[in-house]
Amino acid sequence: MFQALMDWLDRLGPRLYAAFLEGDRWRLYLEGLLTTLELTVVALIVGVVLGVLVAVIRTAHDQQRPGRRKNPLLGFCNGVCKVYTTVIRGTPMLVQILIWGFVIFASSRNKFMVGVVALGINSGAYVAEIVRGGLMSVDVGQSEAGRSLGLGYLDTMRFIIIPQAFKNILPSLGNEFITLFKDTSLVNTIGLTELTYRASRIAGTTFDYMPPYIGIAIMYLVVVIILTWLQGKLERRLRQSDRR
Amino acid sequence: MIDVKHLSKSFGDHLVLDDIDQHIYPGEKVVIIGPSGSGKSTFLRCLNLLEVPSAGTITFEGQEITSPKADIDKIRQQMGMVFQHFNLFNNMTIRRNITLAPVRTKLMSQAEADNAAAALLKRVGLEDKADAYPAQLSGGQKQRIAIVRALAMRPKVMLFDEPTSALDPEMVGEVLDVMKELADEGMTMVVVTHEMGFAREVGDRVLFMAEGKILEEGPPADLFGHPKNPRLQDFLSKVL
Repeated sequence: MFQALMDWLDRLGPRLYAAFLEGDRWRLYLEGLLTTLELTVVALIVGVVLGVLVAVIRTAHDQQRPGRRKNPLLGFCNGVCKVYTTVIRGTPMLVQILIWGFVIFASSRNKFMVGVVALGINSGAYVAEIVRGGLMSVDVGQSEAGRSLGLGYLDTMRFIIIPQAFKNILPSLGNEFITLFKDTSLVNTIGLTELTYRASRIAGTTFDYMPPYIGIAIMYLVVVIILTWLQGKLERRLRQSDRR
Repeated sequence: MIDVKHLSKSFGDHLVLDDIDQHIYPGEKVVIIGPSGSGKSTFLRCLNLLEVPSAGTITFEGQEITSPKADIDKIRQQMGMVFQHFNLFNNMTIRRNITLAPVRTKLMSQAEADNAAAALLKRVGLEDKADAYPAQLSGGQKQRIAIVRALAMRPKVMLFDEPTSALDPEMVGEVLDVMKELADEGMTMVVVTHEMGFAREVGDRVLFMAEGKILEEGPPADLFGHPKNPRLQDFLSKVL
């Protein structure tokens, strides 16, 4: 037993060398990590834009004055948004990625774009719910005051409600960013050369799976710890501005 | 100025306003009193369509605001409203609270609005608060700002929804003083309040509401001096 452990430790050095240093493989990990981060940021931007759009349409629809004729265009958009969030939140992310990669964009060579579309559209559905909650958390008196001054719905949203909601949803948005960062590993299935893809290729070349996979797990973890720390800092800053 | 005909409002099965007819004349100060749940706030909120009436019509300066074709934003620009809970925009400085609406509705340029805001703040003695945020102000200060924010739109009528009910007692006076000054200048005002002293002093006409109806109305001297309706007699015996 003891001998087996010693042998294992003895072999560990060469294995780590093969996985990370031989042929400058560490650069592949680094490139993969950069692609992962890039993908996360771009997909989150797509997700936030989509999410805010969906949230505003859905809130506008729900806040129409009862008893009056409903706006048919708004009703249609609301229906589309509902289908969108239901489908995206009701199907596994991996399945969505496979459909984007091998059905809808089967002939596309731009894997990064496919990854952004798949992750961004997925994230948008979740961000929409976060934003909707944020919009509803702003006191109704704020929008009544805006409307009573003669401001229109869009101006009231833009200048009064959305800025206040944004502050409330920043922490949840931070969580979404962290979740999205980890979920990018799924797009390795469509051949996007991000961190997990690189690790699996290296593992396939060296026939040694432990060092690359444990290695990238540590890399993901370190980035998440840094992001969580930054998020905590941001939240403390925001809370300070409340305490005047 | 404001003409209300057969106004009814119900929330679900609950009838809050029951077939109200009323007319508010230019320059008139109308004070609405009554027990809580009597529909007085709902009546006031119907006047600028923050609540949509279930039945009846409201006409403001010849324009039927309850018609689906009416441009409600345009009409609201001419009707100021002051809320019980102030509802200042928490994310903006006081100056921006006051100038946002006049600038966005193209009533004034930013420079004109800034000047107007400075003049209005001076008038209520808060000129040094222009760059403060609402969270830094006391309740009385917030409500005075809320009043000048509404005045910045140069409204033709001001609606007050229990403007002193959320204030600490020592701050009620400063807000009422601003309202009295406004009344002296000839502003048309509709005020829902529990301040009977204010109703008696400033009101041209007092409406007593209960159970969604106006049970008695008249000059304050008559209404407070010789109440006829038993509900009003009962109400006054409790609040005076």
